[in-house]
Amino acid sequence: MKQSKWWNVLIILTVIWMTAACSSNTTSSDVKEKDGKTVLRFATWDSGETLKIQQDIAKEFEKDNPNVKVQVEAYGDGFDQKLAASFGAKNPPDVMYMWDFSTYHQSLEPLDTFVDKDSSIKMDDFYEGLFNYSSVDGELYGMPAGFTTMVVYYNKKLFDQHNISYPKEGWTWDEFKGIAKKLTDKSKKQYGFGVTAEPDTYDLQGTVWSNGGSFVSEDGKKIDGYMNSPETIEAIQIYGDMVKEGTAVLTGGKNQQSGTDIFKAGKLGMYISGIWPLEGFKEAGIDVGTVAMPAFGSKPVKGLIASSAVSIAKDSKEKDLAWEFVKFYSSEKAIQMRTADLPVRKSVVEANNTAEDELYKPFYMMLENSSNTPAFLLNSNWNEINRNLSAAINAVMLGQDADELLNKAVEDSEKYVGQ
Amino acid sequence: MKHDLIVSTENISVQTKRKINWGRLAPYIFISPWIIGFLLFTLGPLLFSLFISFFDWPIVGEKTFVGFSNYATMFTDDPLFWHSLWVTVKFAMLFVPLNIIISLFLAILLNKKLKASSLFRTFFYVPSVISGVALAMIWGWVYNGEYGILNYFLSLAGIEGPDWLNNQRWALLAMVIASLWGQGTMMLIFLAGLKNIPKDLYEAAEIDGAGKVYCFFKITLPLLTPTLLFNLITTIISAFQQLTLALVLTGGGPLGSTYFYAMYVYENAFKYFKMGYSSANAWIMFLIVLFLTMLVFKSSSVWVYYENEVKNSK
Amino acid sequence: MKSKRLIRSGTLYIVLVFLSLLFLAPFFWMVTTALKSPDELYMFPPKWFPSSWQFENFGKAWNSQPFNTFLMNSVIVTFLTTLGQIVSSTLIAYGFARFKFKGRDFLFMVLLATMMIPWEVTMIPQYMEFNYFGWINTLKPLIVPAWFGAPFYIFLLRQFIMSIPKELDEAARMDGANSFQIYYRIHLPLMWPIIVLIGVFNFLSSWNDYLGPLIFLNDQSKYTLTLGLAQFNGMYDVNMEGIMAVTFLISLPPLILFFFAQKYIVNGVSSTGFK
Repeated sequence: MKQSKWWNVLIILTVIWMTAACSSNTTSSDVKEKDGKTVLRFATWDSGETLKIQQDIAKEFEKDNPNVKVQVEAYGDGFDQKLAASFGAKNPPDVMYMWDFSTYHQSLEPLDTFVDKDSSIKMDDFYEGLFNYSSVDGELYGMPAGFTTMVVYYNKKLFDQHNISYPKEGWTWDEFKGIAKKLTDKSKKQYGFGVTAEPDTYDLQGTVWSNGGSFVSEDGKKIDGYMNSPETIEAIQIYGDMVKEGTAVLTGGKNQQSGTDIFKAGKLGMYISGIWPLEGFKEAGIDVGTVAMPAFGSKPVKGLIASSAVSIAKDSKEKDLAWEFVKFYSSEKAIQMRTADLPVRKSVVEANNTAEDELYKPFYMMLENSSNTPAFLLNSNWNEINRNLSAAINAVMLGQDADELLNKAVEDSEKYVGQ
Repeated sequence: MKHDLIVSTENISVQTKRKINWGRLAPYIFISPWIIGFLLFTLGPLLFSLFISFFDWPIVGEKTFVGFSNYATMFTDDPLFWHSLWVTVKFAMLFVPLNIIISLFLAILLNKKLKASSLFRTFFYVPSVISGVALAMIWGWVYNGEYGILNYFLSLAGIEGPDWLNNQRWALLAMVIASLWGQGTMMLIFLAGLKNIPKDLYEAAEIDGAGKVYCFFKITLPLLTPTLLFNLITTIISAFQQLTLALVLTGGGPLGSTYFYAMYVYENAFKYFKMGYSSANAWIMFLIVLFLTMLVFKSSSVWVYYENEVKNSK
Repeated sequence: MKSKRLIRSGTLYIVLVFLSLLFLAPFFWMVTTALKSPDELYMFPPKWFPSSWQFENFGKAWNSQPFNTFLMNSVIVTFLTTLGQIVSSTLIAYGFARFKFKGRDFLFMVLLATMMIPWEVTMIPQYMEFNYFGWINTLKPLIVPAWFGAPFYIFLLRQFIMSIPKELDEAARMDGANSFQIYYRIHLPLMWPIIVLIGVFNFLSSWNDYLGPLIFLNDQSKYTLTLGLAQFNGMYDVNMEGIMAVTFLISLPPLILFFFAQKYIVNGVSSTGFK
């Protein structure tokens, strides 16, 4: 009895295995169906609604190119891992999202020759500053697709409750600190400002520049006297001090009660970020306003751009087609569809009156002042240096002294600078 | 069944010589799937990673041979190596014993005859089913200093809790607790081991008038040692490979207090793209864990009893 | 005597209920979060129950990407790996547990050692190998290796087999059974609880595997559920109610499986019985 039962099980399992093997054959046959078409692989880190935008753009491209199938590959936050594996095995996607050009540029196809051949692309329609972010050593490796600058978000309801007038462009950090103090009400767990305990050092550069400091010299060859200059120290210390005074609350990283989450809960008066959380704030029912970053006294405010571009892999076998896609991706039509960040083409901004929208205006105001080059594009060893800098800044946010820590970070990083 | 056996006896007696050959080959045939799989899928990548550990390979660029310099750098010129190793050892020293004790305790509770025990078993196993980002979000919600649920409950009791994940002193402990929450696998293995202990042993002891404590130490624990050995070794390994939670929850902070060795390997590979260096890191970790495991394994001949041995010693 | 027993089982129940709350609270929070509307997600003090139950959140999340395809792929992968693990691991474990042969202890050490290899470094060479086989963007890299045993399961089964009295084997051998027959007729039935246990473990690890699918699959039509879940978690933004809703839905099958499988794990050997 028992024995025959076992045999039955085995036979059933074998049958299932066979059918599964056959069904996996049928999945490979839909590759055949694609055979008539060329498959173009396009990798993105977008998720949710913004991923859908990418898929729609890909579909538009397929409409114009009926013999092409664009395979949108959504890696989410596993983006770098997946790219590393596929570049390592020389099997990368043809076209991919890119921002970290200093790390990846060796594996990317320079685009200058494509651009020169193609006048239809209208390079002067792009905001010039953006190309700076996708070039290494004077060569262009990515076409700008979208960008954002950093602004201050504020919760209008909290401002009204405390009878504080909304901040305006040209305000200063002293005013910022004063407002934060007024908005803070510990008994309600309500704070004027939220600071990430482990910020991306990239995001702080705008503040540092605005105070006349920077992380590295303009030629990228020196950090001593820059990363530990009094201006840099003062700018970083502001955040740490506000946490210490209790007018700012420490928030977690992306996955654990981030500043965005707490702002959505209506417990933060002000929060500094790019355009990403705007839709979420509105959805959460927060009456949100935006304003340009505050200034240090009379010093000019400097803006910081976070840009995303699309690039072509050097190992791609379909480079011409890939370029067609990249071109389409940075065309008016596609940029018009990208509603999750800011349009990179002036013509699109004009057509949509984006720059006139109250919420969007500050982003463009910051863009006009974004002439500084971020540190990672200046020094090819920035990753190593940044390891020490991040540790130092983390310690500052947790209440330690910026002066001492940044000096130590410089000392520890010196060996990487010259390389 | 008996009928079959008789038939095969006849076959064997006819071909005695072949049977001996088969007998010698039999174990290799049984383990052959693993050997083939090992040669096919594991050995190659493993040797490749050893090979690459003598190179400088930025993944996106070319490989250059650097000899032992990756290993030398690690030991002499990289404080993060020692730091992350120390963090991992601290974590393991807390996590391994706690994990064993708690999962054994829960397994013993669930081993009692109860009406709703199948429900409780499922409840205790629930945390093991949740994975990835959702897990990190759940713990972010629990641990946050201002808005977290843990401190909310503590405040109801009049205690002001720390900002768990932003506090150097508490963050590692918070990670230990979060990891312990997913102990379901170990608990189940213990439970299966407990169920495997013959009931007549307890009955005999009870007739002799032995107490509960005596039974636990003289019957349960010795007979559970094979399971214990398994859980001990796999827990040590998982403690040293601990990565996901740190990666999605703390990112190694605050101030590197949860910067596990696995995270160090991971970041060198996928954040700093130093594949050669990262392979060297990984090989050192591999050797450390291997050494520990062998130590436990060698010691097991002293404290692990397999049932046939127990019977023989009686 | 009776009241004493009542008190004892009463305390036991109280302890169990308390522990259950501890283990279930986060799960409960996951479910309520999945049911909340966006403006209630981040309230403090936390809202235990949503003021209006947004059951459509589940549908919205599920339909935002082709989750039916992902489900299909996950089912194929999980089923075939679990089957493969059970068939291969039981054979291998029996080989290690019941024979004395040259190099056994060395080979077993190697087997244990493979458990300790950090995947961070073998991942890329493995990708290259599967790329060479032409297996990238198919389910094969996720399924095929499972048919060659996994050290965790082999080790677990070996420990179990070693605790079975050798007299059983010897008696059968006297009756003339060969090694395979002993494996098949004596050990396999005895192993049943552990096989179910392994089935549960492998179901879960294969079902929840994120890294394998991420690295080896490219096209959305090949994605598994965990990769679908990852599409709510971008580099810059996180869709919390989406993640919670899908995580909840994804965790149901393993939980249901476990609920029904546990009685085989727990009833164990006694019901199969020594003959």
